[in-house]
Amino acid sequence: MKNIRVYSIIVCLLVLCVAGGRSKAQQGGEVAVIVNPGNPIDSITTADLKKIFGGDKASWGGFPVAPFIRAAKAHERDVLLANVMKMTDAQYQDFWVKKLYSGSAAHEPLAVMSNGMQLEAVRSQKGGIALISAADVKDGVKVIKVDGVAPGAAGYPLK
Amino acid sequence: MLRICTFFTLACLLVSVGNAQTPTTDQKETIKLLQQEVEMLKARLATVEAKQQAPAQAAPVQETSVAAPQSFDLMRGVKIQGFGEVGWRANDNRAGQAQVNGFSDGPNGNFATGDFDLFLTSRINDKTMVLSEVVFEAADAQSFNVNLARLLLNYNYNDYFKASLGRYHTSTSYYNQVFHSGAWLQTPINRPLAVEFASKGGILPTQAIGASLTGKIPSGKLGLNYIFEYGTSDTIRPDINSRTGDVTDESNGNGTTVGLFMKPEWAPNWNVGGSYYHDRINPTDTGFDIGQSIISAHAVYTSPKIEFINEAFVVQHDVKGSRVFNTPAFYTLISDNVSGKWRPYVMYQYTNANAQRVVLDDIGLRHGPTGGVRYDFNSYVGFKAQYDHVFRRTPLPSINTVSTQVSFRF
Repeated sequence: MKNIRVYSIIVCLLVLCVAGGRSKAQQGGEVAVIVNPGNPIDSITTADLKKIFGGDKASWGGFPVAPFIRAAKAHERDVLLANVMKMTDAQYQDFWVKKLYSGSAAHEPLAVMSNGMQLEAVRSQKGGIALISAADVKDGVKVIKVDGVAPGAAGYPLK
Repeated sequence: MLRICTFFTLACLLVSVGNAQTPTTDQKETIKLLQQEVEMLKARLATVEAKQQAPAQAAPVQETSVAAPQSFDLMRGVKIQGFGEVGWRANDNRAGQAQVNGFSDGPNGNFATGDFDLFLTSRINDKTMVLSEVVFEAADAQSFNVNLARLLLNYNYNDYFKASLGRYHTSTSYYNQVFHSGAWLQTPINRPLAVEFASKGGILPTQAIGASLTGKIPSGKLGLNYIFEYGTSDTIRPDINSRTGDVTDESNGNGTTVGLFMKPEWAPNWNVGGSYYHDRINPTDTGFDIGQSIISAHAVYTSPKIEFINEAFVVQHDVKGSRVFNTPAFYTLISDNVSGKWRPYVMYQYTNANAQRVVLDDIGLRHGPTGGVRYDFNSYVGFKAQYDHVFRRTPLPSINTVSTQVSFRF
């Protein structure tokens, strides 16, 4: 009986460990693309997102693009790299070293440590754009559609 | 049994705690980012304090639910990146015979530090930046020459109009625009001869001082871009057969480069294009006035896994009152990142200059295969091992070369 109790505790702890790991993977959910409210765009394509975060699009037309990205290991960064850039984190860093060195881009997306910083950054820059967990979106930024689909709708590509 | 179970439980708890903490892979990067954010918060705090100390008659600030910061400019300051290399090479090119692909003088088997490259950028404002590249070039007898490879004041009005003024690497080749002097950035140990720097025996005017314009051309999914450069290259080429340091000063007039390339949306990893360059040269001690025209074309596929670079050139020298000489050249390079760290590569290169010509006569015919492998220890340090075989015009013997290199960035 004593052994059964010990085994039960171990099984419970193992389940908790696994659940903890899953909750980390699931904590991000859908990722919204936010821009400054002064930016007239309401929708963006994944191809344009790739250009922006790959340094091939640096202007919205009349004002410069200011892309912000979460630092390594953040869910939003993982979604951007996997779904849009099609690169690993190391490949993305190498990509930007080469991009800057070639002189074909002026600066890489500014990496910030939190979604709160991303929100402040996009609020402060007219050309600001960032990816942020849909649950963390606050006032002062505009959520735009991606490939014509809004977050929460079926077929939304940034999950 | 209970002791084993307790130990197992503790191990599980430790793993769980480890998962919960989710440490970053690069702590240095994290510290750097945190420092940046602290600096930004300091700046914002200073702004807020300054406002609080402002005279009381200042207009009251309207309270809003969202506090918009006045500035989020973290990109100012000078950003420095460095590239270095240390290599070893041995070949069967006996003393008194021609060098291989512009290799510098020295014994047939030697160590060399190669180029040490400092790359500096600084943003002046949203549209203006300064870019510079200072290269300490390895010379003979363990000495170094300082070369200001690039110094550019860049103004990016928008994606369609970007202007630069200063010293630049010419757009006479794709390789020259992308890889510059950093050995870590390129897959093989050395540049192909066709795109080697002119100061190391290459056949193209690789550097110039002047102005350049680049930008996109409204072309939808075709992704067309233009390049226009006007400047003087003032090329001084070493004779790659000479062991006494003979050079030719081409005394170039101003050169013009126009280029066009496309990065189509429907083929996102491709870059296809070409360029045309023209200037007049008056090589020292020859008395000739020569019109120099260079036509280049490239088709490049790059992805994190595959790198496939192909370039072809025709360098034409029209000697006034005499005849026209054409020098065709090409190289093709393919590499595959097979396991994240290993990248085997093969290359074939060909350059054929007429032996009777006024310039580039030291090049002659050189062609042959290159095979090698690159191993990346991490994102900062790579090791390369390479074998080259160079055929030359009869009766000159072929040359075999084995090279290794550790290249790094910081």
